[in-house]
Formats: sequence, structure tokens, C-alpha cells
Amino acid sequence: MGAQAGLAVEVVGVDFSYGGLRALDGLSLTVPRGVSFGLLGPNGAGKTTLIRMLAGLLHPRRGTVTILGEPSSPQTAASMGYMPQLHALYGELSVFHNVDFFTRMYGLGKARRQRVEEVLRLVGLWERRRDSVLHLSGGMKQRLSLACALVHQPPLLLLDEPTVGLDPELRATFWEHFRVLNSKGTAIIISSHTMDDAAHCGELAFLRAGKVIAQGAPAQLRAATGRQGATLEDAFLYYVRQGLDRG
Amino acid sequence: MSAARTLAIARRIAIQIMRDHRTLALMLVMPVVVMTLVGLSFYEQKAVLDFAAPALVGVIVMFLVFILTGVSFLRERTQGTLERLLATPVGRWDVLLGYLVGFLVFAAVQSLLVVLSLVLVLQISYQGALWHIFLLVLVLATTSLNMGIFFSTFARNEFQVMQFIPLVIVPQVFLGGVLVPVEQMPGYLEAVSRVLPLTYAIQGLRDIMVRGQGLEGIAMELGILAGFAILMMVLAAATVRRSP
Repeated sequence: MGAQAGLAVEVVGVDFSYGGLRALDGLSLTVPRGVSFGLLGPNGAGKTTLIRMLAGLLHPRRGTVTILGEPSSPQTAASMGYMPQLHALYGELSVFHNVDFFTRMYGLGKARRQRVEEVLRLVGLWERRRDSVLHLSGGMKQRLSLACALVHQPPLLLLDEPTVGLDPELRATFWEHFRVLNSKGTAIIISSHTMDDAAHCGELAFLRAGKVIAQGAPAQLRAATGRQGATLEDAFLYYVRQGLDRG
Repeated sequence: MSAARTLAIARRIAIQIMRDHRTLALMLVMPVVVMTLVGLSFYEQKAVLDFAAPALVGVIVMFLVFILTGVSFLRERTQGTLERLLATPVGRWDVLLGYLVGFLVFAAVQSLLVVLSLVLVLQISYQGALWHIFLLVLVLATTSLNMGIFFSTFARNEFQVMQFIPLVIVPQVFLGGVLVPVEQMPGYLEAVSRVLPLTYAIQGLRDIMVRGQGLEGIAMELGILAGFAILMMVLAAATVRRSP
């Protein structure tokens, strides 16, 4: 166990390609426990590939992935909640049955029904529990998808673009949930390409062409530009140019 | 492997189908409609129908079950639910066995409807025990179910799954002894027909229905079909993590 005890995730020198297309190129990063950690970058930067790799769905060609101090394996899957970019819900099933199915996959046993109720109340869907998923709005499906990832109270959450398509009010609600979870020690890794999400994160990694070009707290990254009032977008562009100059 | 997870997956599939009333209705009505049409097409040719019936049962069950599981499993891939499921502590064998159990219930109902339509609607003359016919058809349905899962891993949309029908089902119809007995085929075609599951299903069904044989008489066909079912399941397990 080479990972530090306080880390939720440690990725070292990871490579991954889809056929001839390199998606991750010697990528390394560390994620502390109990923070919301943003993976930020343009489309094709490797955010989704990295999240899928952390979820155990892809295996690195080179490098190591350590989850909560253990090498990534089918066993570490129980400690993670994964919310993919697609809603990935069972349309014909009711709201209740969708969440209940995941409690069974995570082996929650007798606490199952109580946890389903708690998590559905948390995302505001308890009153809609009998409705078919097909009859939910996009925002409700997003909330239900989050509920399925949260139901087993994992210490690590992997959320791939969780706020895409949400209205500002709902987005604020999501971030409130995330802050509560952080305060209980849950690490949340969130991929996004919006700077609005980035501002809510305790720590960020800027990704570009399968590499981490910078990692730190939002204030730290903004300060690195040397400009007063620099935004995170300015910071991202600053690191891109730095990389180009060095390259 | 976890029996609890396997059963939870089977339960989920059953609830999904039960809540999808249109699909459920089509699944139940289709076998009866198809068998009735077949019966009408053999009007006043009862002797021909009696001979053709075992082959028709095999073809129809294989076709219906292949479509049912092929499309369902593909949807799991394209909608991202399979990937999400595989990110949980579930094993690939839990997924496959869960699918097998969940769909086998409905495949069994479809098979039963086909066999009952044959006897009650078409009123064909048959020898042997009805439950022997049903048992053989159920083993064929299991093979077809696993074939549907395996081949769906090579398709990216429903249209492509349909393209596997001429590739997977139609050759079996022509080479499995539906139209021409396998023994009358040229040697090289007979060799091909010997590696097709439908050949053994038709042979076994004819042994029961035409020749009146019992379980010991069809033991070889049952065994080979079960072997095909296991082979298809192993192949499906090897490909279950393929991305869409």
C-alpha cells in the first residue's frame, strides 16, 4: 500500500487508449478525502475515461489506481457510488424500484427499505416513488440517478457531469447535498466542463489531452496567473499556454 | 458469485417486463398468432403439418427468444444501465445468470404457448409425452437466450441486432433440417448442420413427436443442446464487459 492514508484516490502514471486514440497519457493525480474534487477540461480531455477507470470499468495499460488505500479491484467497487453521464435508469421501473435494485446490488440487507426512503427524501422524490421513470422530467431523472449512487453511503462518489441540464435552482440543491456529504467525510469526484461547477469545488484538476496540467484549490489556481480578478477560465487558459510554451 | 444478486437481477427483469404491458401482451399473443397462421397455411395438408410441426416449434421458439434477449441486452448497453451495474460489486456471472433466470420465465411461457398452440389450435397428431416436448424446447430456449446475449455484444443498435437474424437464425433454418432432412444434404453441408443447435432440437422433437421416443431416446440431443447453452454462456461472459 503505497498510498497515503488520507487519500481517497491516488492515480500514478496512467495510460489508456481507445484503439489508436490516446485518452489518458501518463496521468497522475491525488484526491483527498472529504472534499469535492473537480475534473475540469474541454470535451475529449479524458474526464469521462478517468471516471470510468476509477469506477473499475476500464483498466489502465500502464500505471496504478489506488482507491481508499487499496489497489483498484472488484472489491473496491463496494466503496464507490457511480453516476454516469447518461441517466442509466430502468425506464419501466418505478422510482422506488430503481433505487431498491441498487440497494440489492450493494447488499444492504434489512436496512434496505429505510435507506431507499432516506435517499429519496434527500433528493425530493419520495412523493413520486410509485411513478415510472419514463414519466419523470430530466431534472428528476438526474436526481434519481444521484440517489442510486448515494444509496449505500459510499465514502467515495464518482459523478460524471452531474449538473448538466439542471436549472440553477436544482444545481444549487445538488451542491448543497455535496457539501453535506463532504462534511461527513465523503470524497466526491465531479467531472465538468463548466467553470460554475468548478467554483464550488474544494480542489480542482485541469485536464487537457489526457494529462493533468494543474491541480490545486480554485484560489491557488487563479492566483497562479498573477492577475487580479482572474477567473478559473483565465487560470485554465494560463496553464494551457504554459504547457504549450514548454512543449 | 452471489445468489442474492443473481435473483435481484432476475426479479428486476421480471418487474420490468410485467410493467411494460404492451411488450408483455406481444410476448404472449405473438406465439399463438404465429402458430395459428402456420396452421392455416397448411389447411387440408395435415400429414405435411404433422411432419413439419417439430421443426416449426424449434424455429419459432429460437427466433422469439433470440429477439427478446438480444434487443433487451443491447438496450442495457446503449442506455448505460449495464455499465452502471458493472460498477457495483456484481460479478459478470451474476449478471448473466440473473438474465438467464429472469428471461427464462418468459421464454418458458412463450415456449409453452407454442407447444399448446400446436396441440390445441393446430391439433397436430403427435406421439411421446407433451412434457418431453416442453423440456426439449426449454433447453433450446436457454441456448437461444444465451445466443441473444452473446450476439448483442457485437451490435451497437437494434437495427444491427436484427441483421444477426439472417446471419444466425436463417442458416439454421435451411441447414437444421427444417426443409430438407440433414441426412439428404451434401456431405459438407451436413457437416455444417452438425454444429448448429437447431439441428439437434429438430432431431429431438421429431424423435418425440413422430417416432414416440422417451427421454432416453433424446438424451443425446438434450445433452448437446445443453452443451451449446453452456458454450454460449461462456462466450457471453467473455464479452459482457465490451463497451457499446
